[in-house]
Amino acid sequence: MALLEVRELGKAFGGVAAIADLSFAVPEGSIYAVIGPNGAGKTTLFNMLSGVYVPSDGAIEFDGTSLAGLEPHQVATRGISRTFQNLQIFFNMSVLENVMVGCHQRARSGLYRAALRLPGVVREEQQIRAWAIEALEFCGLAHLAERPADALPYGELKRVEIARALAADPRLLLMDEPAAGLNDTETAELRELVRRIGARGVTVLLVEHNMGLVMQVSDTVLVLDYGSKLAEGTTTEIQNDPRVIAAYLGGEVQYAVQ
Amino acid sequence: MNALHRLRGFLALAVVVALLPVLFPDNYFVTVVGVTIGFNVMLAVALNLFIGFAGQISLGHAAFFGMGAYASAILTTRYGWSPWPAMGVGLVIVYVVALLISRPILKLKGHYLAMATLGFGIIVNIIMVEAVDWTGGPDGMSGIPGLELFGWAVDSDLRWYAVMAVVMLATVLLSLNIIDSRAGRALRAVHGSEVAAQTLGVDTARVKSQVFVLSACLASLAGSLFAHQQNFISPVSFNFFFSIEVVTMVVLGGLASTYGAVFGAIVLTLLPQVLVVFEDYEVLILGAILMSIMIFLPQGLFVGLVRGSTGLLRRLRPAAVATGD
Amino acid sequence: MLDQILQFLITGVTVGSTYALVGLGFAIIYNASGVVNFAQGEFVMIGAMSAVWLLAVGMPFPLALLGAVAITTCVGLALNKFAIEPARGATVITTIIITIGAAIFLRGAALLLWGKDIFALPHFSGEETLYFGSATLLPQNLWVMGVTAVLVIAVRWFFDRTLMGKAILACACNKDAARLMGINVGLMLLVSYGMSAFLGAVAGILVAPIAFTSYDAGIMLGLKGFSAAILGGMGSSMGAVAGGLLLGILESLGAGLISSGYKDAMAFTVVLLVLILRPSGLFGRKAADRV
Repeated sequence: MALLEVRELGKAFGGVAAIADLSFAVPEGSIYAVIGPNGAGKTTLFNMLSGVYVPSDGAIEFDGTSLAGLEPHQVATRGISRTFQNLQIFFNMSVLENVMVGCHQRARSGLYRAALRLPGVVREEQQIRAWAIEALEFCGLAHLAERPADALPYGELKRVEIARALAADPRLLLMDEPAAGLNDTETAELRELVRRIGARGVTVLLVEHNMGLVMQVSDTVLVLDYGSKLAEGTTTEIQNDPRVIAAYLGGEVQYAVQ
Repeated sequence: MNALHRLRGFLALAVVVALLPVLFPDNYFVTVVGVTIGFNVMLAVALNLFIGFAGQISLGHAAFFGMGAYASAILTTRYGWSPWPAMGVGLVIVYVVALLISRPILKLKGHYLAMATLGFGIIVNIIMVEAVDWTGGPDGMSGIPGLELFGWAVDSDLRWYAVMAVVMLATVLLSLNIIDSRAGRALRAVHGSEVAAQTLGVDTARVKSQVFVLSACLASLAGSLFAHQQNFISPVSFNFFFSIEVVTMVVLGGLASTYGAVFGAIVLTLLPQVLVVFEDYEVLILGAILMSIMIFLPQGLFVGLVRGSTGLLRRLRPAAVATGD
Repeated sequence: MLDQILQFLITGVTVGSTYALVGLGFAIIYNASGVVNFAQGEFVMIGAMSAVWLLAVGMPFPLALLGAVAITTCVGLALNKFAIEPARGATVITTIIITIGAAIFLRGAALLLWGKDIFALPHFSGEETLYFGSATLLPQNLWVMGVTAVLVIAVRWFFDRTLMGKAILACACNKDAARLMGINVGLMLLVSYGMSAFLGAVAGILVAPIAFTSYDAGIMLGLKGFSAAILGGMGSSMGAVAGGLLLGILESLGAGLISSGYKDAMAFTVVLLVLILRPSGLFGRKAADRV
């Protein structure tokens, strides 16, 4: 059963079609990767999926209901979380507080109840804290909880962003180039983390340039070129597809699968 | 983290505030200037929620301070209302106005937001000056009755000190409570990265509007109390300069720090008292101080001092990691 | 009625010319450095006050005017050197407070030097009333409009046709790229502050014979000039000029036809409406955020 279904999706900026007539389906519980050269429209796709851009054409359906016209914060409450290509960490907070914001939609208390610090608020705070610590532990960052976010190196911050997105308890996690800027060790750790996320039952939609990572974690790969689908299939199928090789992979076909 | 630990700064503040009149009972600085400090702290802490924590700008908050004051003044002097319901009405009016302008204005950012709030503040102030039938015009309104609390008349400087001490401390506590909560983190997330906050389910437009309205209402409350304490108000107390003064208190102390706002309010209330000595040079020196602090200590005086002293302590005793307040 | 409107238009264009020059100054500094200089209005005040002072100490009229402009330009350069440059990279709200602090400082200096009195400059070429249809105007009105037009054209030519002008525009687009192209960004910023101060000073001496001046005359002018820049669209210097003229005309018509007490309120209401309905201003371009 497809958790996310995209039909004839299109997005044009002025006269330029960043995405055109794109259709694909992401099965629940899978790890689905989107690859393609720079400018192929991957971030545009993500921005449409998370409600930041409004599609020019087509439909997006999540768990059977349409995402059309939803504001980004509404998309989030449907169970979709995302990480960003350019880190969007809250540098004005600690690591733990960053992840606690991830729990925002799992809680209820508003401004005035918080101001009066009613007992319900205190209990909820403890619950949020517990959820956040759990997410940090899952990502191996619990020891950094109290550190100010602006004191952490880039690699750790990328993982904080993942922990934050996971703290929302999403059904679908959109990851926008999670390996960008990571060295080999960090990328290997990321690979394990993505696998564990998948094992936990979270569906992952991943945009990535690092072919090694993509081929090692993905169940299905979608290749975008000039905003349209070039090919879609398993990692083996994609690696052997002549169109894909011609357009994109080239010598990187050497990367081992398993 | 138990309540005592979390509120240790607040308790220290409360103790100092309570002890001052006991230790210096007839001191002008404590009772009279102290009351002014009380008002300024309320305004600075309220504004800091919007400017410091939510990362927005408002150069027109004096308008809300004034609206509360004038609502109380008009209802009590022209219509014979009792102060407390009048204060309530002022609160409602400010709530509605702030809510109405918040949605369109808060779509703006940076200098545009600054100008919009500035414009709003000036328009309100001009209405105070021009609507003479209602507001008494540039001459202001006098004869505003004092406050009475269940038969206890607030009719001396010391009693006003007590009232403002309680109200001020309540505002500080409110701010501390908010910051350390889901709502407070949503606020700060808006400042950190609005896009990321949205993708985590935070309705950023609503959050900005809510905190704007809250800080406006707190200013209105302060204004109503101000009217009853001064027994006289005039538009000149609620003009663009005062808006800038409150922003300066917040920025001087250090944005996104409740205690910073308290500190900034105290410093900026005392500074003119100190500068009066310099007479004609007063304005000049004020401008110079402002520029210097913003250039050399942009994180604010309070935060700068705190970081400086914790840095010193850390060198003397490498202990646990510092956290925010 | 038509006569009245013509009269209001004349006043409006005169006042609007001042706003246009102040707004132009705002736009130039904003374009070059991204800073909104809340001390812009003070340049106007200092220009006028220095002229009054130089005249009072015995300088011949033309020299006093030139001297005043020179003094103010130096103040502008000093502002850039001592207040803006040291705070490069500061947040929006910090730079706002810095320029406000500078404005307060300059006002304090004026207060110290010249006290709280109101001063006027003599009219440049006499006070004989001129007639335009059934409306009256003074020669000074023509001075204001004429000199403003000349300056606006000169500024436009400077940015369109000279290398330095283009260099300043380059700094506005991308400082690092400009630096890499060999442009001395610091110098360009200095020049833009100097220019803005120059424009402010000229506005000040042009209008002082009609509107008088005092140590606190700069505040409202600064705010109105900022409004003009916003009205026209913050990135567009010609937009600021158009915005200033429009603001002056609207204000004058409003004051004449509706109520003079509320004229400032009307000006700011217009600005508020523009901000809410079309924040990019009349001539500005819409900015897009990259995520």
